[in-house]
Amino acid sequence: MLPITNFILLSAVIFSIGAVGVFFKRNIITILLCIELMLNAANLAFVAFASYFGDSTGQLFVFIVMTVAAAEAAVGLGLVIAIFRNRETLNVDEANILKL
Amino acid sequence: MDKYVNYITILPEAILSLVAFVLMLVDAYTSGQKRRLYAWISLGGFIAAGAAIGWIAVLLATNATAVPASTYMGMLVSDPFRLAFSTIALVVSTLTALAAVAWLDEDSLPAGEFYSLLMFATVGMLLMASAGDLVMIFLGLEILSIATYVLAGYRRRDLRSNEAGLKYYILGSFATAFLLYGMALTYGATRSTNLEAIRVAITSGKVDWSWLLLVGGGMMLVGLCFKISAAPFHVWTPDVYEGAPSVVTGWMSTGPKAAAFAAFLKIYIAVFAVGAPIMGLAGATQKALTIIAITTMIVGNTIAMVQDNVKRMLAYSSIAHAGYALVGVIANDWRSVAFYMLCYGVMNVGAFAVVAAIGKRYDRETMVEDYRGLAWDSPVLSLTFAIFMFSLAGFPMTAGFMGKFLVFKGAWEKGLSMLVIFAVLNSAISVYYYFRPIMTMYFSASADGDRKRTVLGAAAVAALAISVAGVFYLGMLPDGVLKFFALSSK
Repeated sequence: MLPITNFILLSAVIFSIGAVGVFFKRNIITILLCIELMLNAANLAFVAFASYFGDSTGQLFVFIVMTVAAAEAAVGLGLVIAIFRNRETLNVDEANILKL
Repeated sequence: MDKYVNYITILPEAILSLVAFVLMLVDAYTSGQKRRLYAWISLGGFIAAGAAIGWIAVLLATNATAVPASTYMGMLVSDPFRLAFSTIALVVSTLTALAAVAWLDEDSLPAGEFYSLLMFATVGMLLMASAGDLVMIFLGLEILSIATYVLAGYRRRDLRSNEAGLKYYILGSFATAFLLYGMALTYGATRSTNLEAIRVAITSGKVDWSWLLLVGGGMMLVGLCFKISAAPFHVWTPDVYEGAPSVVTGWMSTGPKAAAFAAFLKIYIAVFAVGAPIMGLAGATQKALTIIAITTMIVGNTIAMVQDNVKRMLAYSSIAHAGYALVGVIANDWRSVAFYMLCYGVMNVGAFAVVAAIGKRYDRETMVEDYRGLAWDSPVLSLTFAIFMFSLAGFPMTAGFMGKFLVFKGAWEKGLSMLVIFAVLNSAISVYYYFRPIMTMYFSASADGDRKRTVLGAAAVAALAISVAGVFYLGMLPDGVLKFFALSSK
């Protein structure tokens, strides 16, 4: 069995890719995918710990996260469709009526 | 009743979810928009859930065996903390349901979805208040957040509302991911997701990799600071609060924020407040939070001063109020934070209900100059708004004063004198921008003489009357509520 550190490092790398992507990608769909990447990095960490401890709580958490992520993606895509209908672009830089 | 399944402890959440489902069915099977009917159904649901909370309170006080402190294998915890934050959630959502009746009519938006989403969101808040496990905090937070994303973008054809919903969605999910990853690392460090077990593990120093706990704790803190909109994680707040419909903004700035504070306090008590010397976690967290609280207050109050849009001004004011409440978190005093969030909830929902009424269809008139001479056209509405502004500024006799007083007193007794002095100074600065709309309403001539008088429906009048009564009740006679929060038993 591989040492647990490898899994945690991998999950940290995936999480960082996702977090950096949210900041630097300009397309909303890509941003949604990056957020999905971050959630699944956490899932990876959870299952790695759960199998290392021989404890089922972490695996249970993963199922809940997967369900929630699906619901979240559905709502996110709904919002994307709403904004696309009114504006016909998916570039976040052009979603700028409200000044930041 | 065993400690695993207990139908009494889950009753408030069960009632609300059930009524929300019934409401969706009623909405689907009635022809046309029966807005009054939907509002009545959701009001009934909130009142029934409130009664269930009351029943749990009575059982907790009299019969210890009927309601075990921890049920569903430690997922649900029934204690004064739960009762306090559940009450806040229900009060805020009920007031919002009342205030929304007129707004939904005005904008001709579908009402059935609105009320069921509001109720599902409230279920999420109740679960966060009663969570005894990181799993439950995450689940409650997501039930709440997903409904809130939709509510923020509820004006489907309004670009500003679309943008508010999308921005809230992206930054909210981003924060959730941080929180979740922090939870994963905390689980790795302490071998448990149960808050009590985590607290015990940290207190007794049974942490496998303390650096995991340090990183995990930090990431949870970042996620939570996003959710309570503390600086420097506040950038989404003004945009989202400005773009979302006013009634929804009033609710978002109080209910979900109170629930986020509940989660913050739960995690703070379990992970950060314990004195075990794990790489100086407790001390470092306190220092970091002190800096965050001070920045939050400065950013909120100074930027609020230069805002010309009342909604945006109230958004920055909401950031500042999160800073004041953080003082209570740092003092590890959940009761005063709960009381503060109740006070803030009552006055802010009221203030935004007035903003919605003045703003008219699609919130067109929300600039300060739109309020010119309003006192002569709608004297009662202006007086109500002035009362809420006085309360937000923290004038004596109002809820805002009593809330701040209790938080600052608790922090002062814990020896956080510098922080308290700073918060009081900030609160004095805030008087300036709260007075601006009042001055404009009372001391400027009306721009156009033929402005129509703002007419409110019965439900909005009821919401405002309850809010005003609440402001004075909490400000002058807080004993009853404090006793309910078990403050006096300390």
